Amino acid sequence: MTAEKRLRIALAGNANVGKSVIFNYLTGLHQHIGNWPGKTVEKAEGTLHFKGYTIDIIDLPGIYSLSTYSIEEQISRKYIAVEKPDVVINVVDASILERNLYFTLQLMELGAPLVLALNQVDIARRKGIEIDVEKLEKLLGIPVVPTVAIKGLGIFKLLERAVEVAEKRETSRIVMKFGKEVEDKITELIKMLEGNHYWYPPRYVAIKLLEGDKEIEKEVEQLNPKVVAAARKLSKEIEEIHGHSCSTVITAERYEIAGRIAREVQKIVSPIKPRFEERLHNLTTHKIAGYIIMAFSLLAIFYSVFTIGGYISDFLNELFYTIEPIFYNLIGGGSVGELVWSIMEGIIAGITIALPYIAPFYIILYFLEDSGYLSRIAFLMDNIMHKMGLHGKAFIPLILGYGCNVPACLGCRIMETERERVLAVFVTTLVPCAARTVIILGLVGKYLGIEYALLLYIFDLTIIFILGRVAFKVLPGEPTALIMEMHDYKWPHLKTVLKQTWFRLLEFIKIAFPLIILGSFTIKLIEVFGLLEPVSLALSPITVTWLGLPAITGITLIFGVLRKELTLIMLATLLGTTNFAEVPGFGPIQMVVFTIVTMFYIPCISTIAALIKEVGWKKALLITIFEVIFAITIGGIAYRILTFK
Amino acid sequence: MSKRRIPLTALKNGERATVVSISGGGCGRGQGKWGFEKRLMDMGLTPGTEVTVVKSAPFHGPIEILVRGSRLALGRGVAERILVEVEE
Repeated sequence: MTAEKRLRIALAGNANVGKSVIFNYLTGLHQHIGNWPGKTVEKAEGTLHFKGYTIDIIDLPGIYSLSTYSIEEQISRKYIAVEKPDVVINVVDASILERNLYFTLQLMELGAPLVLALNQVDIARRKGIEIDVEKLEKLLGIPVVPTVAIKGLGIFKLLERAVEVAEKRETSRIVMKFGKEVEDKITELIKMLEGNHYWYPPRYVAIKLLEGDKEIEKEVEQLNPKVVAAARKLSKEIEEIHGHSCSTVITAERYEIAGRIAREVQKIVSPIKPRFEERLHNLTTHKIAGYIIMAFSLLAIFYSVFTIGGYISDFLNELFYTIEPIFYNLIGGGSVGELVWSIMEGIIAGITIALPYIAPFYIILYFLEDSGYLSRIAFLMDNIMHKMGLHGKAFIPLILGYGCNVPACLGCRIMETERERVLAVFVTTLVPCAARTVIILGLVGKYLGIEYALLLYIFDLTIIFILGRVAFKVLPGEPTALIMEMHDYKWPHLKTVLKQTWFRLLEFIKIAFPLIILGSFTIKLIEVFGLLEPVSLALSPITVTWLGLPAITGITLIFGVLRKELTLIMLATLLGTTNFAEVPGFGPIQMVVFTIVTMFYIPCISTIAALIKEVGWKKALLITIFEVIFAITIGGIAYRILTFK
Repeated sequence: MSKRRIPLTALKNGERATVVSISGGGCGRGQGKWGFEKRLMDMGLTPGTEVTVVKSAPFHGPIEILVRGSRLALGRGVAERILVEVEE
């Protein structure tokens, strides 16, 4: 390393307190969004230069506690304790101080050098809450900076104070004391812990042992199993005194401290004006009006994503295909030219199919999430979604899946736990997207009649429902019931939303493009080497014997991996006609079977890329394999039932 | 003044009560005791806390409550396990 001065700042806090807005203010365009190593939790990092320092900023996931309830909490705790950032900026919502301070107290227990960003003081003021900043500083023993992140107010000062704290790695001298019984036990445990080194400070380890934290227990067990046994005994004693589990007692006392501090520093004056947010909340969660508004919003979202997306997509498509002849003139025709063009085609497919829809969808999704409307939709839809084993929030990605599975899968990021994300992603990939709808309508709808197309649609929905339920039962891990904060409505910070969209797009491109290009190159290779016939022959046990389809469909199904609507286009090319009714051996039954298989077998290659991004390689592969087998199985069964006389 | 102990879901809209305890237990849809009980506590539903039921979503959906100055949505299954005390 050079003499460059480096600092590391971590941003921590509850969800929806404006953390990402501050992150975006600080890092501007110097940021990178990826995943935590080995996890599918998003990791946002960025750098900035300030007072001669190069500062690395990391935005930790939004959480309410530092237990091991979720992976996000584990990651944050580990990061703060093990990686030891030079300072942690705890962003709190000034209008819900008590709940936020509960988290602050835990950061203090962890012994992190802290600065408090008292954010959204403007909202608090409108709610009639004034906060005495100096008093809060004194009570917590850490610097407190009031901020209004969406207007950029206080950010400079926040950074200044953070650097000051980081230089000295200054932690609060104040130890937040629990009740006497609990404190006695903590002291006793700290004594027993002496002599061993842990990642976490001794007082923290003692508290967590009393709370029965599994991860800490495991760590201590390796070095000093006696302490764990002793802690269990001590926490039993507390349980007997209080009549509640020790973890409950500690949590309650911590909240009591948070509440006491909040009450001491808050002055409640009358709200400045009748709150518009309040009325909007009541309206959007109303038992009738709420659903009407939701239906209109969804229609508007769907319409705007797919008209904007479609417009951009068409425009780009035309643009690229005007290049094609020019390109061939340059490279020359023949196999080489075709192969090189296939790479281009892959890139074009990526740019024209996925991106135009992903970008507007991301923007809308962040808008919904940051404004708070997403949690209201989850509130209204939770019960219905629950029947499918999904969280209410999964409703949005699911609906969007009807347009395109790719943004829908990426949208499953909003799910809170990994299990829920996997479930939502799985169900989403089964939703008939626009391309599959084209096949359903273009084949079954056109040649058999619209009622059959509708029937297939209903069949698809039934399967989604059944598979969702099965996955819900089969998937390991605990189903999480809905416990969700509905924060006040607020206007999202446009710049943050746009930046979030941009950096996530980049991340998606990195994963998806190599896959798409490789896919289209491979298929072109098969074609150029005249392997189309042998491949379809090799597939004929499945296509001909099991599914009862013409052998040629094997190739079209392979092409469908690139983009589903290609199956229909390919079919027309290979059969040499667009009037499928004329083709011998491709009757109504074959059309239905072919459509069923296309409906369920793997999502297209871009969707696979989206799956990889959201749930990792292994699960993406598993889902893909499952869906291929499932589609073939159910197609074969359908063939047998339909031909049974 | 008598006190009545009932599950949170038995409260009428707008009614206020104090949290007594959260009955965990292994039964029900696999909601392990540690997970959801701890989560509720972390969200501020500790014994002795005052909660107000605002409304519930249609079709037997989640209920909306006010606790410690913020608004929470709780699935019905979860809310049923929260025992509260109301003064009559």
